[in-house]
Amino acid sequence: MIPHQFALVRREVWEHRSLWLTPAAVALVMTLMLLTGYIFASGYKELVDIGIVGAQNLAAEEHRRSGLTAFLMGYTVVFVIASAILTIFYCLDSLYAERKNKSILFWRSLPITDAETVISKLLTAFVAIPVITFVVIAAAHLVNLILMSIFIGIEGGNPGYMIWQSAPKVLFDVWTAVLLAMLMLPLWFSPFIGWFLFISAWTKRSPLLAAFLPLFVVPMLERIIFPTHFIGEAIYSRFTQWPMFSGVHPGEFFDEEKLMESHDAISLLSFIDIGKFLTSPAMWAGLVVCGLFATAAIYVRRYRDES
Amino acid sequence: MTSLVSASNVSKRYKDVRAVDDVSFEIEKGKIMGLIGPNGAGKTTLLKAVLGLTDCDGQLSVLGLDPFRQRKKLMQNICFIADVAVLPRWIKVTQLLDFMEATHPNFSRNRADELLSRTKVRKEAKVRELSKGMVTQLHLSIITAIDARLLVLDEPTLGLDIIFRKEFYGNLLSDYFDGERTILITTHQVEEIENLLTDIMFINEGRILLHSRMEALPDTYVELMTSGEDAERARRLGPIHERDVFGKKVMTFEGVDREHLDGLGEAHTPSVADLFVAKVKGAAA
Repeated sequence: MIPHQFALVRREVWEHRSLWLTPAAVALVMTLMLLTGYIFASGYKELVDIGIVGAQNLAAEEHRRSGLTAFLMGYTVVFVIASAILTIFYCLDSLYAERKNKSILFWRSLPITDAETVISKLLTAFVAIPVITFVVIAAAHLVNLILMSIFIGIEGGNPGYMIWQSAPKVLFDVWTAVLLAMLMLPLWFSPFIGWFLFISAWTKRSPLLAAFLPLFVVPMLERIIFPTHFIGEAIYSRFTQWPMFSGVHPGEFFDEEKLMESHDAISLLSFIDIGKFLTSPAMWAGLVVCGLFATAAIYVRRYRDES
Repeated sequence: MTSLVSASNVSKRYKDVRAVDDVSFEIEKGKIMGLIGPNGAGKTTLLKAVLGLTDCDGQLSVLGLDPFRQRKKLMQNICFIADVAVLPRWIKVTQLLDFMEATHPNFSRNRADELLSRTKVRKEAKVRELSKGMVTQLHLSIITAIDARLLVLDEPTLGLDIIFRKEFYGNLLSDYFDGERTILITTHQVEEIENLLTDIMFINEGRILLHSRMEALPDTYVELMTSGEDAERARRLGPIHERDVFGKKVMTFEGVDREHLDGLGEAHTPSVADLFVAKVKGAAA
């Protein structure tokens, strides 16, 4: 079962090259943007200026850490958004393409059950995409810190002091937080992952439309037919309540200025609340919904006779 | 157990259509069984039932397993190539071999490498870069490298040119078939496989019209080319089918002693294709 799953997930990575091409493309664009000056932590501009006039000791270590953290986080958010979009497209394609290109009968001629196949797609969404994206993020962070060091050096600042003195602590904090968040986000949004997989296994055409239309139409129908908002509320609340982050509203979480103000040295890790996440009934309820959709996907792949 | 496939009263219905209608047969170990039938005869449905891809009524046992409910176990000992079961186009040959090695307990990587080294298939190529003939060679090499007890081929050579088709069946016999393994095959190009079959089964409208060992065909079926008064006399012996060829009558007889036909014309054993037409038309008449 486990070596099987490894081979199956590896196959997903072979087939869907976008799994690593997407984060790699984001990394490339972000690096180019950094090089052309579109993104640059504004705090650093000041620090560099201070450094140049020879008053480097004015900036406290916490401030440098906060500046670095804010920069890396703003940078990382783009990857997180890209990986969310990637996950949607991957899930919708994963059980649809094999039917479209008729390779499904080849895969089904091997001693692999439909359940194992669908589980491998879930593992890809829950583990492979976050881990691959994380590795690219970490590599991009390092490349960009090096580029910034060169930039600061050219400006006359001291990159060793401004970046690398704080970097180990900051990177440990940011990387741990990013990896945990990347792993928790798909779990939190698991009902959608299950739903997309089911649509991918079930729909005869246009999976994108078949997946998204009901997300808008069903809540509306519910309001018209019954005077309730249950489904709409369930969908909406996934985007407004994130139990993996403590004490922050999702919107605030990405507000760099607020983060800069509220703490001396920001720790991203301090915003992550694993306990709250793991004890969140909504998270577990979501996983159950995901399981139901995944079971339906297995059932469709197993029993539908398409000839 | 010598019976690899055992079907009794197997039926499969799609809404109002009986695709397979109360079919019973056995396939023994070491046979090469040809399943012959026109389009829509129920061949593919029957194969799908054997492969556990579709459920059916009646008793069907393949390698002693219920194909639909014990599919994973079945698939360790059964292989199939179908014109519709295409290899994924995005995969590299080496990736495919790696994947097979990791997931199939009876797959021999060395054997596959050896078989592929005899072809022009490049290991680093993607399937989409190979010609249709090469894809089939690749597929057959992979299947041959699986130590499976039953191989099911559904129109395996569809769309291939004659050279590849001949080579396919040549390789099938020399590399795959060893007397221990069993092959179940369907194709429209009957002439090309009739020499390699040991058994034959005709199916039409979901029913089995004929099931025989190839060796037994000459004992049961005779084709007589005749004309004029001889034709009139031959007709009284009850041919199952009659057709005109170059102004002569060609009649197919079932279960009529060759001695009775002596002197009435030129008697010989019908080809599988002609026999098939005779049986289908004869059944319809």
